[in-house]
Amino acid sequence: MQQTREILTFQFGTYSNYVGAHFWNQQEANFVYDREGNIAEEQLPENDILYREGLNDQKQTTYTPRLLSVDLLGTLRHLPVVGELYGNFLPVTNEQNTDELQKAKDLVEQSQMLTPGGLDVRTQPPVELSEYQLDLVKGTVDTENKDYKLADTCSSWADYLYARYHPRSLNVLRGMQRQTDVQVLGTQVAGVELWQSVAFNDDFCDRIRMYAEECDALQGFQLLFDIDDGFSGLATKCLEHLNDEYSRASYVLPLHYPRNISYAQADPRTAHSIRVVNSVLSYYHLSEQATMFTPLSTLETIWRNTTSQSRRMPGLHWQPDNLYQSSAILAAYLDTVTMGYRLRNTPESLLRFCERVTPANRNMTAAGLSLPLGMEQEQDLIDFLDGSNNSSLLTQLTPGCEPGDSHVVQSIVARGIPHSRLKRPVDQAGPQLRMAAYKCESVSQMLLLYYQCAYHGSVTHAASMPLPLNTKLPFPYEIFDAGIAADGFKLLGQAEREKDIRVRSAPALAAVQSSSKLGAHLDTLHGQTHRVQLVKLHSYTQSGFEKEEYDTALDKLLEFRDNYKDAHYL
Amino acid sequence: MASISLLNPKAEFARAAQALAINISAAKGLQDVMRTNLGPKGTVKMLVSGAGDIKITKDGNVLLHDMQIQHPTASMIARASTAQDDSTGDGTTTTVMLIGELLKQADIYLSEGLHPRIMAEGFEKARDKALEVLENVKVPVDINKKNLMEIANTSLRTKVHPLLADLLTEVCVDAVLTISNDKKVPIDLHMVELMEMQHKTDTDTQLVRGLVMDHGARHPDMPKRLENAYILTANVSLEYEKAEVNSGFFYKTAAEREAFVRAEREFIDQRVKKVIQLKRAVCDGTNKSFVLINQKGIDPISLDALAKEGILALRRAKRRNMERLALACGGTAMNSFDDLQEEHLGYAGSVYEHVLGENKYTFVEDCKNPLSVTILIKGPNKHTITQIKDAIRDGLRAINNTIGDKALVPGAGAFEVRAYNELVKYKDSVKGKARLAVQAFADALLVIPKTLAVNSGYDAQDTIVKLTVEDRLSPELVGIDLSTGEPMKPSDLGVYDNYIVKKQILNSCSIIASNLLLVDEVMRAGMTSLKG
Repeated sequence: MQQTREILTFQFGTYSNYVGAHFWNQQEANFVYDREGNIAEEQLPENDILYREGLNDQKQTTYTPRLLSVDLLGTLRHLPVVGELYGNFLPVTNEQNTDELQKAKDLVEQSQMLTPGGLDVRTQPPVELSEYQLDLVKGTVDTENKDYKLADTCSSWADYLYARYHPRSLNVLRGMQRQTDVQVLGTQVAGVELWQSVAFNDDFCDRIRMYAEECDALQGFQLLFDIDDGFSGLATKCLEHLNDEYSRASYVLPLHYPRNISYAQADPRTAHSIRVVNSVLSYYHLSEQATMFTPLSTLETIWRNTTSQSRRMPGLHWQPDNLYQSSAILAAYLDTVTMGYRLRNTPESLLRFCERVTPANRNMTAAGLSLPLGMEQEQDLIDFLDGSNNSSLLTQLTPGCEPGDSHVVQSIVARGIPHSRLKRPVDQAGPQLRMAAYKCESVSQMLLLYYQCAYHGSVTHAASMPLPLNTKLPFPYEIFDAGIAADGFKLLGQAEREKDIRVRSAPALAAVQSSSKLGAHLDTLHGQTHRVQLVKLHSYTQSGFEKEEYDTALDKLLEFRDNYKDAHYL
Repeated sequence: MASISLLNPKAEFARAAQALAINISAAKGLQDVMRTNLGPKGTVKMLVSGAGDIKITKDGNVLLHDMQIQHPTASMIARASTAQDDSTGDGTTTTVMLIGELLKQADIYLSEGLHPRIMAEGFEKARDKALEVLENVKVPVDINKKNLMEIANTSLRTKVHPLLADLLTEVCVDAVLTISNDKKVPIDLHMVELMEMQHKTDTDTQLVRGLVMDHGARHPDMPKRLENAYILTANVSLEYEKAEVNSGFFYKTAAEREAFVRAEREFIDQRVKKVIQLKRAVCDGTNKSFVLINQKGIDPISLDALAKEGILALRRAKRRNMERLALACGGTAMNSFDDLQEEHLGYAGSVYEHVLGENKYTFVEDCKNPLSVTILIKGPNKHTITQIKDAIRDGLRAINNTIGDKALVPGAGAFEVRAYNELVKYKDSVKGKARLAVQAFADALLVIPKTLAVNSGYDAQDTIVKLTVEDRLSPELVGIDLSTGEPMKPSDLGVYDNYIVKKQILNSCSIIASNLLLVDEVMRAGMTSLKG
């Protein structure tokens, strides 16, 4: 019996919601209703895994993500907390808002609700819509020609959110207003405390339960969270709850901000220490609770990266500390790699996907992405792979981590490479005939063969999907170099794309990898802890945090690091 | 120059009078915001956020939460008021008013040179006296419907329209009386479930003597309505979790794997069969039916098997509902299906499903002796429902407080007026300048009847004079009648407040006010600026 194997997604924290917004925008682009049959249906992603069907009070059918998101006050911008599909708010951001307000007021006055004292209406000035959202409301979004300058103007993820959420999805932390330069919810302990507070816990757990109740065959959870701030505490506690109540697989993605955001009452030195302690505590919990976790960041290293050195990807150029652009890259990775368990014809479950790359309790994995893939126009995959023999295809997205090219366990997903571009038919093949890869019949087979040859002593699992990554607005199309054609393939030689043509889509390759070299990542973290003096971190000591707990976390971290010793595996 | 500025020239600070001025102005500001809310004639606030979210409330606590309070003093007062709400569920607005007024009155004397320390000592004396007065005027009550109705009604009338308040009063009192069931044990208000239903045309609140759950059967063939139902509550997984088995699977052939999977499935099927067996044993040949309510999941195959037997099965019930079900219908929540007996089952006269948009509700009603009930709130939109819900919660708390205290205090400002008169008398027996503080405390208490009068459109001074005079003459307490502005006896109109609420207010307000008065230096110097 074929059932939808539902997955519930969580987003804790502002940066996670940035990535999430891009991710869900991408999902809507993945909805392909292709009647001409260019792409076989069974090769497309199964949207029902992440989405639910519903009915709003206007009797309209809705299709919204199975998502629970938590963020600070003020990040929602124009979005009402209840979402826009199910009513229960005043459309103040529209022009006719005075009418609506009056109507609502009259309605309240007619109802039996009021005391004889009368009604006192207090309105905050309506939030101004971003230009993109304005056009979206009017239905005049011009993805080809108009420049919305989202990278410079967008002040929160709501500004470029195209997807629409269910009323259950959004949670806002009461009384915590977002500040751009300071983490409002600073420490892991603060997050834990918040999770335990009745006001948050009851309602949030109930929402999880409502989602779970709808699912026939819930297979697991995807968790995105900001590891640099208190949302890490919230997320680790939530994961604990999920394991207790539902015992399903969980794929956790701790995200690091692409810039160093300070904390309340902390100089750069204490800020650094807080960041390290947050990470230590989170890693400790994740190593015990998560089925697999993959730290993500566009930065090269974290924890003592004073210069904020960013990763570079051939063919891409983004402002390193721009939340909007960097989150799009992480979302592109997330969307591509999760295709590994979201395709229609795959027998793969989230659990199998995770366990395949986490042998011997190595449940921390590294991320690698190639966007755009770097294939030239008219070039076949077989030639591309043949030509790139010596350089790695992937750029690492896990900070301070190079899995290397031997003894790697990995799962790889390619997208956007049409079957016709695999190789030439026999009569035109020429030199391709002599290559061993010529007998491969699919993209995934060829990648498998490639990695068998390129990586020594490694285990690879490959999947592929013909749908490329959609890079139209609200994706930051401007990050592509001029040498990339509109379809995301590399232009020949020094040729450049015409100025006013934008990259519409791009092929991509994403991987989760594990090797004993990942231990270095944990070593860096542990190395940083020597400088931390917990007693001096007031935000920690004040909330009654025990030193023993920190010491246990450190010990466990070392134990966890031992899993990555060579002797342990292979 | 403050010593801190020697260490850190960037530190901001305010000393003595200036520091006091900061605190007092914050307290006054907060008081001004909340003033119009107090009492049954206070205005209701409708808050519309920049994104269009609506909130309608009169509850001081809700308002305080919603205002972005940045001022350190104001947030301290707000926290006191929140604590008040957490412990008693009422009196938040009063707390804010009283702290503000205490500081305002103190300010008059302090500006004439009285030392804050003496002020604080006087406050302490005055508070002790006031508590003594409270102890004297409290009216011991029997826990019966009439008394509970009066207290709940007083509380609810300050939150919603009188007509609605009367309806809610009935509902709340019935709810509490049903679950308390004349037993002497403390009442667990969690056993009153508040369920909301958003319904376009219907505004109604009713008490369901049973349980309403926010989910329904997930199988099309399951019965929508059952009479005479056995209820089995369980916390047993009825889904085949591939998750748990895959990792331990070792197989050589496809057939072998199949066998493993079948064995695994068999395990779940056994559990389902046990339920079916029990159902057949207790229901066959009678007109009884069977309902399974599970805290864990039930997968489609199990649902299918249960549906064929005519069993209504619900999955993923709220954890708290397990407890509630056991109290409402009897029976025990089962953690395993080994050794299932009839005595483990509960009973409900009718169980039916109600569908509203994408939401399903399941009613478990007509229970024999329900010790857990549901208050069902219907409203046309979310903010209406929330408003009613907040009001009900406060009403329930007020009833619960009364049952705990076994005493009430006459309301409508009566206690404050009596305390004022007593304190004025008491003042003469206090030695030294502390008597000024007692006077200040007495004056501050009057802010409650004053505001009540002003909010109802009467003259504050006029009312106070009338009330204090009347109070001195009458041995009984005298409060203000908000419909006429004249003095009246609260006991005649049934206006009562909770004893514990008043007590808590007196305690916390005097402490916070004293603390704020004793602040003689306010400084701001963050870690960052310390390191320069």
